Amino acid sequence: MLDALFRFFFELSPVVFSQGEFRFAASTGSYVAAAAVAVAAGLTILAYRKGHGRPGQRIALAGIRLAILALILVCMFRPLLVVRAAVPQQNFLGVLLDDSRSMQIADVDGQPRASFVKSEFGASDRGLLKALSERFTVRTFRFSSAATRTTQESDLTFGGSQSRLGAALSGVRQELAGLPVAGLVMVSDGADTADAALGDAILGLKAEGLPVFTIGVGRETLSKDIQVGRVVTPKTALKGTTLMVDVVLSQSGFDGQKVTLDVEDEGTLVSTQQVSLPNAGTPASIPVRFTVNEAGPRVLRFRVSPQQGELVTENNAREALIDVRDRKEKILYFEGEPRYEYKFIRRAIPEGDNIIVTSLIRTADNKYMRQGVDGPDELVAAFPKTREELFAYRSLIIGSLEAAAMTGDQLKMISEFVDRRGGGLLMLGGPRAFAEGGWTGTAVADILPVVLDRNKLQPKGTVMRLTIKPTRAGAATAVTQLGANEQASAERWNSLPVVTAVNRVDAVKPGATVLLMGTDESRAERPMLIFQRYGRGKTFAFLPQNSWVWQMHSTIAVDDLTHENYWRQLMRWLVDGVPDQVEPALTTERVEPGEGAILTANIVDPSFVELNDAAVMATVTAPDGTVSDVPMSWDGEHAGQYQATIPTKAPGWYAARIDATRAGKSVGSAVTHFRAAPGDAEYFDATMHAGTLRRIADETGGRFYDPSNTSTLADDLRYTGRGVTTVEEHELWHLPIVLLLLVGLLCAEWGYRRVVGLA
Amino acid sequence: MSSAWRSALVAMGLIACLADLSTVALAKVDPGEPRVEYDGRFAFTRIRYGAAIDLSRFRREPPWMHDFPRADFHFLKILGELTFLSTVVDQGNILTLDDPDLAMSPIAYMSEPGFWFMSEAETAGLRNYLLKGGFIIFDDFRGNHIQNLLVQMRKVYPEGSFQKLDVTHPIFHSFFEIKDLDPRSGYYARDGDTEWLGIYEDNDTRKRLIAIANNNHDLGELWEFSDTGYMPVDISNEAYKFGVNYVMYAMTH
Repeated sequence: MLDALFRFFFELSPVVFSQGEFRFAASTGSYVAAAAVAVAAGLTILAYRKGHGRPGQRIALAGIRLAILALILVCMFRPLLVVRAAVPQQNFLGVLLDDSRSMQIADVDGQPRASFVKSEFGASDRGLLKALSERFTVRTFRFSSAATRTTQESDLTFGGSQSRLGAALSGVRQELAGLPVAGLVMVSDGADTADAALGDAILGLKAEGLPVFTIGVGRETLSKDIQVGRVVTPKTALKGTTLMVDVVLSQSGFDGQKVTLDVEDEGTLVSTQQVSLPNAGTPASIPVRFTVNEAGPRVLRFRVSPQQGELVTENNAREALIDVRDRKEKILYFEGEPRYEYKFIRRAIPEGDNIIVTSLIRTADNKYMRQGVDGPDELVAAFPKTREELFAYRSLIIGSLEAAAMTGDQLKMISEFVDRRGGGLLMLGGPRAFAEGGWTGTAVADILPVVLDRNKLQPKGTVMRLTIKPTRAGAATAVTQLGANEQASAERWNSLPVVTAVNRVDAVKPGATVLLMGTDESRAERPMLIFQRYGRGKTFAFLPQNSWVWQMHSTIAVDDLTHENYWRQLMRWLVDGVPDQVEPALTTERVEPGEGAILTANIVDPSFVELNDAAVMATVTAPDGTVSDVPMSWDGEHAGQYQATIPTKAPGWYAARIDATRAGKSVGSAVTHFRAAPGDAEYFDATMHAGTLRRIADETGGRFYDPSNTSTLADDLRYTGRGVTTVEEHELWHLPIVLLLLVGLLCAEWGYRRVVGLA
Repeated sequence: MSSAWRSALVAMGLIACLADLSTVALAKVDPGEPRVEYDGRFAFTRIRYGAAIDLSRFRREPPWMHDFPRADFHFLKILGELTFLSTVVDQGNILTLDDPDLAMSPIAYMSEPGFWFMSEAETAGLRNYLLKGGFIIFDDFRGNHIQNLLVQMRKVYPEGSFQKLDVTHPIFHSFFEIKDLDPRSGYYARDGDTEWLGIYEDNDTRKRLIAIANNNHDLGELWEFSDTGYMPVDISNEAYKFGVNYVMYAMTH
């Protein structure tokens, strides 16, 4: 509409004005006219200096009269718009057609987005393509992951699993390099699924001065849609771990509706819950709890059942890969005195569990008992004295043990265990723990999530009796889940018996999160379970000294698993994400079949010092069973980081075993998995992204169109100023807008006179 | 730590305790059901029960309180001196098996189980206690008293039965290294060979002991009179070793 109005008043397209250059073609007559106008202006001023009317009215009338004279003067100087126009059939034009799956979405009056492409670009004698072909030599490309030439309608399948706008633009730019190209036309819904930023591609186009004219097909909002927007899961988990995962749901057209959110582990339902959908445009994070009981690479599917009238149902589900590890993870538990808490924590982890609690308990002065050790030599000299020995464990629990029981180096080792090795540390409440145990000012105090203050100690011989409940942050973690659902869990916490604590903690560190809060007999609240990330690892503080009452208390049923579940979850959190000596990582868990997967691995020695001189080999097993070796090399930038690109062919699972050796000795090995499969990213955020397409057009000097206003596209493309061009001059003095202005000013003067009574 | 050194330590501990112990009353009046409010320390918990027969006509105290309180407090003194276990030395719990507070003492001691008789509630109480993680020590019985213990425990834990323990069991090495289980070393050796019997969780010998019984032995008697000179020091020492090991085992298994 606006475009049509513009063309009515200015007779030319806005593109011509944006590309053209204003000039005046003045002649001698122009200067004579200028003199005449100057005289007329002088007379006008003189005439209005005195006379009828108030001064303000006279000034207004004089202003209008001078404006009329100025407009006439401009016209007398013959304003011109000089623009370079492409010579017909002398220039090339690249047309990029989106061939991805999202083009099948039928959100345009019930028709798929692709129907516009087919009707306008399907054949050279149709619609826009015909108009363009009359002016340019058109090169048509289809694109999804990359751009390829297309010559016939049947090439367009609209089955591409991704839209890489930047790669397509760069590819076509390079393809047409050296030719006189007037510009590029991109027809797409703008849903860019590439990981790489679009900026690089735009920069290349800008450097070359190649404008891109974009046509956005599809609606900017879907009338009825539910989308599982984001699911954040850990990359690895220990078998048997209960995970709390936030699933982000968004919707349009289903405000407040209740739907079922299911989680499937390779087709087996592992969680289901009813959720109320948030208001349109406001994504909501839904906590979902499930347990991973099957080992291996598992694809977890988070799904909302399709609702009636939904335009896109493919975005109702999201998949996440979790490498569920069935291996033993050792936690070292150092307890400073015999006490029931030790017994029941050990008892909470059953034999055969993936967590092994190797414990060292000091039963008397310089006398220790070891439990859960692998052999007679393990911990034979009590607490580890070397980093190699300590770093072999994945996490550390310190019980009621005074700091003075450790040497300065051992305290530093514990700090490094968390910071550098990435291990988990949990300090338990007890008479010898925290500030009461003299830990204030030590290297360990620095990494704990609580502030220790030697001036604020719990008086000796006194205990706090506390009821414990999860905080809001704590309720979102797996460790506090004691019931089948949120409500059951809250009720369970309310019914748990009182615990005691003998350590006073008034403050937590700025980066720490309180997960459990206790309320003492004076109704004062005290943090009971606190967590924080520190360096590569994490630390916890658990203040109660007798959580075993959650097992033994007379109100607790014999078959109640509250205590066991709590400690099993806490232990799993402790070891979760703790790195190995060989720690693999993938930039993405899924690649398109045929693409390479970028595999990285962090290699460290037993003291967790990065190694840059290791020999690292990835042995890749493809879905068909073929095995290939891909050497990995140090990336030269990050200490200890090695990289390789693993090629893929057939779709399916690929297993990569990474072996690192140094000086002929094994450093370690690790296995990771990824899959080659078509992605479903096309269906997420599947609205037409006008912003992206407008940005491409604006930054490259092109223009954005929607399908309803493409009639001027072919003409607009003539004025990009690129390729083989000729100069066109457009006279502007006789534009309708000039006449309109002139008439308007005259009418304004007359009207004003009538109003103020000077007519 | 050598055994000689340890014996000397026990002896010194005993001597050190004598002054305090001299103040412990020898009275045998029924103490009722005292209890210690839990504060993190280990308190000795003696089980009170109704006897199958009335012993008052023999002018003696109820069987459950035999050796009380001197045995209990002597043992706590020694336990606190030798180990890092924090103990309540001058108080203890006396609880029935159906007392809810029993849950706060996962280690319990019963004297003279030959006279033990339980109500239904007590049977259920002890069963729940053991299943949740509790541990009970049966002491001070001889001859055919074992039969009553077997019958009562069959009611409590029918899926398990007492099995004879040998010296390789971890309970005999949890603190002191007990190298020999001499069948003639018991306090009631004249009534029969001394045996150390245990019930395993789920009747599985790979799992923890939930109960131990000193057949034809009386550790409590030896603890009670360890400061009087009535008992040879080495015998008292051995009795303390067993007691300490039982507690250490129950604290760690």
